[in-house]
Amino acid sequence: MKQIALYGKGGIGKSTTAANLSAALAEMGLSVLQIGCDPKRDSTRMLMHGSWIPTVLDQVREGREASLTPDQVVYRGFGEVRCVEAGGPEPGVGCAGRGIIATFQLLERLNSLTGDVIVYDVLGDVVCGGFAMPMREGYAEEVYLVTSGELMSLYAANNICKAIARLAGRARSRCRLAGVIGNGAGQAGEEALVRAFADRIHSRLVIFIPRNPVVQRAEIHRMTVIEYAPDSAQAGVYRQLAKSIVENRELGIPTPLSMDDLESLAMEFLPA
Amino acid sequence: MTSNPLPWSSSRLEGCTLSGALSVTTEVTDGISVVHGPAGCSQHNASLLHATLLGEDIPHLLRILSSDLDEAGVIFGGEGALAAALGEATSRGPSAIFVLSTCVVQTIGDDVEGVCGRGWGVPVIPVPGSGFLGGGFQDGMRNALIAIGERAGEGKGKGKGEGGGRGNRDGGITLIGEKNLEADVEENFAEVSRLLALLGERPALRFIRGISWDSLAGLPAGRLNILREPELRPVGEAFAARFGTPFLDSFPVGLSGSLRFLREAAGVLGADPSRALGEERGRQEEALARFDDLRGERIRFSPTPGHAAGPFTRELASSLGLVPGEEGIPLPLPTPLPVGTAGLVRLLHRWRRVLHA
Repeated sequence: MKQIALYGKGGIGKSTTAANLSAALAEMGLSVLQIGCDPKRDSTRMLMHGSWIPTVLDQVREGREASLTPDQVVYRGFGEVRCVEAGGPEPGVGCAGRGIIATFQLLERLNSLTGDVIVYDVLGDVVCGGFAMPMREGYAEEVYLVTSGELMSLYAANNICKAIARLAGRARSRCRLAGVIGNGAGQAGEEALVRAFADRIHSRLVIFIPRNPVVQRAEIHRMTVIEYAPDSAQAGVYRQLAKSIVENRELGIPTPLSMDDLESLAMEFLPA
Repeated sequence: MTSNPLPWSSSRLEGCTLSGALSVTTEVTDGISVVHGPAGCSQHNASLLHATLLGEDIPHLLRILSSDLDEAGVIFGGEGALAAALGEATSRGPSAIFVLSTCVVQTIGDDVEGVCGRGWGVPVIPVPGSGFLGGGFQDGMRNALIAIGERAGEGKGKGKGEGGGRGNRDGGITLIGEKNLEADVEENFAEVSRLLALLGERPALRFIRGISWDSLAGLPAGRLNILREPELRPVGEAFAARFGTPFLDSFPVGLSGSLRFLREAAGVLGADPSRALGEERGRQEEALARFDDLRGERIRFSPTPGHAAGPFTRELASSLGLVPGEEGIPLPLPTPLPVGTAGLVRLLHRWRRVLHA
């Protein structure tokens, strides 16, 4: 079983990438489980054709934890991808990080962490112990950073590098950085910048996903690109990503950049 | 952020705010202390208090109720659990409820004051603290004294004692912050009472030890507050600002300290201390004479780290004719230092046992 985690700044297109990746992996005949680890619970929505599935923490909130069965938290979407959303508290109260930890413990107890590939889609703005959970205790062994060329997106990716480097030092840790996925925001010179970032942290750019209007069109139709426009070039990019990930054996411990180095890097690639 | 400087310390003085606050709030005999947090936080503290009091032959049944915060409460917020606990507490008919919060409650950002202020039909007083995040035992004690003092007697009768205001100084002397867990607490009370009696006065209010909520209503009208120790100065200052009550910052400590206590108390109370000072000097001389057999003994002190006992030990050694030096027999110094002349006598008995063992 391959367990991968996609981390990145909120709003960067991480969930879109994760859903299309899962769809492409499913097309390859693999059994895929996608777990959204973000209180806004929209990771799997396109795989579920727009429906908001009940979250694991909804069940906990309603006191059904003890009698919970897998079919109350795992829902089948496009390509038979099994979809789970962790969910979380209302904004401003409680602890979403602790919610992620509780979700993992619950899924484990339900024996739901199975399949050929598990894709963890994790909010990367907050790198507290809870949101680092997928990287800990032998869950995700391969972490992919999803980033655009925007400075704050790179900053979040760099922060996650720090978490990976820290966790890699633990005796039982198997968590490693598997690469960087560039998700284009339409900036000039963006691919070169993301590639350079990947090099500087001693990793590699797995793929650069160009910005393409078909992604928005697919979302309006509540589908992944793989399902909505299977013959499009963008679908081809996602399939290429899926293939690269399945074949990837290059795992390493990143070298995070200082804030000064990160800013200098962004400066180098500023359009004239 | 807590600045607790002694991570290796197992002294209860450097424990968590919860222990310190509970050592105060549980002394309100008709109150209930609600600990908002996991059940373990209240269980550990209840065990500590119970065991300590039992060691002093006080079979005290503590009125502590936990909000029993569980994992769902941590994830989604624990305000519902606190509200449920307050509902349970009010159903038992207390005169006041004190709400103490724990580390996790602070971490998840519960609006404890908001829940306390919902109108429960009985004073519900949030005590700042947040477990160890709010500091140590002393901070918890200070916070509890101030929080309760601000609302002392609220709800008593009709409009009486509603937190006070300045002006009415017809009350008596209030002892502030007695150390309810120390072994000599009653002996110390008796000694302070004895000294005040020399001035024709007596403590009118023990804030807070074994007392009902309504009785605390006398706090604002007090003429003089006497703090148990200087660490409670913020409490004395808070009550001086709110009620206009002057304060002495410590129970009497040492020979000259006991005389100074009499002078300062007399100054605030408008009494002539001459006769009291004469009587106390005589008592001190008589007490020292009973330990004349210790004269010339070579001694040294083995204080606990950070013990600020220099002036106390120098004066006592000099008065007794003890000879301090590195080669001397180590003598124990208690924390806190003994109160008044009676406390000194108890200490000197201990020293005699050590020196003549």
